[in-house]
Amino acid sequence: MNLWKDFNQGIIRENPVLRLMIGLCPVLAVSNNAINALGMSIAVAFVLIGSNFVVALIRKMTPDEIRIPIFIIIISTFVTICDYVMQAYSPALYQALGVFVPLIVVNCIILGRAEAFAYKNPVLNSVLDGVGMSLGFMLALVSIGVIREVLGAGSVFGFPLFDERIAATIMILPPGAFITIGVLMALVNRMENKVL
Amino acid sequence: MGRIIKLGLTLAIFCVISAGMLAYVFIMTVPRIEANAKASFEGSLREVLPGAESFKNVVAPGTKSEIYEGYAGGQAVGLAVKVSPRGYSGEIVMLVGVDPEFRVKGMKILNQRETPGLGTNVEKPKFQKQFIGKGIKDAIEPKKDIDAITGATISSRAVCDGVKTVLRDSDQYRKVKP
Repeated sequence: MNLWKDFNQGIIRENPVLRLMIGLCPVLAVSNNAINALGMSIAVAFVLIGSNFVVALIRKMTPDEIRIPIFIIIISTFVTICDYVMQAYSPALYQALGVFVPLIVVNCIILGRAEAFAYKNPVLNSVLDGVGMSLGFMLALVSIGVIREVLGAGSVFGFPLFDERIAATIMILPPGAFITIGVLMALVNRMENKVL
Repeated sequence: MGRIIKLGLTLAIFCVISAGMLAYVFIMTVPRIEANAKASFEGSLREVLPGAESFKNVVAPGTKSEIYEGYAGGQAVGLAVKVSPRGYSGEIVMLVGVDPEFRVKGMKILNQRETPGLGTNVEKPKFQKQFIGKGIKDAIEPKKDIDAITGATISSRAVCDGVKTVLRDSDQYRKVKP
């Protein structure tokens, strides 16, 4: 069994953001501080693990022609549940993430893993793949969030580190997202190529 | 033909199960969502008008703002007015409290989508405390009477406009009040 491989490939080797480069839209948009990044990662993890589980569970009875609509129904059900639960139990985070919670439906990491992995693999492997991919997504998103928040606002997870007047505001604006993500991609590529 | 019906039925079954789950989650969370929204708005009302114990939604003909009159021990202690001036990217929804002399007592930004790091500084106490004590006769011009936020002139101007609207509308309320 390749359970361990299914679990850890998403973390660095096939990291969805930094290696596969999918799901970049929410990454760019909500990574301007560490708390938003963490909240978004948790929401994506819930949806990804849930949808991988259900897709793997029903893959034998899913007719091939309509698998994509069925995936979308499953994913949007999980996203809507996540949306309501977040609104009820964490209204501040819900307000900060705004439109990006409903947009998890069209996040290609989730549909991509359903189609490329969960539809072809047993339940346990698919759940592990979901957990691994979620951890990879969280690792990338929270790193970007921390870097941008420290450099751009002089704080981390909301705790002030130094006077924010000397912080580079550009880092919490959209260009900061592109700069950070580019630098991290380069680092991960270098690290991976050395290992190979 | 038979194949199409089978596929259609399969999709329908998935939709029904999904709808059932969503209905359940909706029923479980909606009371809490509504309670949250109410509690958070009432908390904001108390924040901008400290000392008030209860609030009543009142109407002043000729104004578009939402006006709430605050009471403490049966006495009116001022107004809290919600306005939404146009900022740099969308409306800045803000709540301003005015005391019985119709001077600004406190303010809070409820919702905004300004540029992070620049326009979002309108939420800072340093900027907002400049408005405290301003009345209908005071000039509230950004860069003259109010220090605007560097790099966020439009957002600063929007907040000034919001405060002006609040003072005008509470003055209107004073005139029509029985």
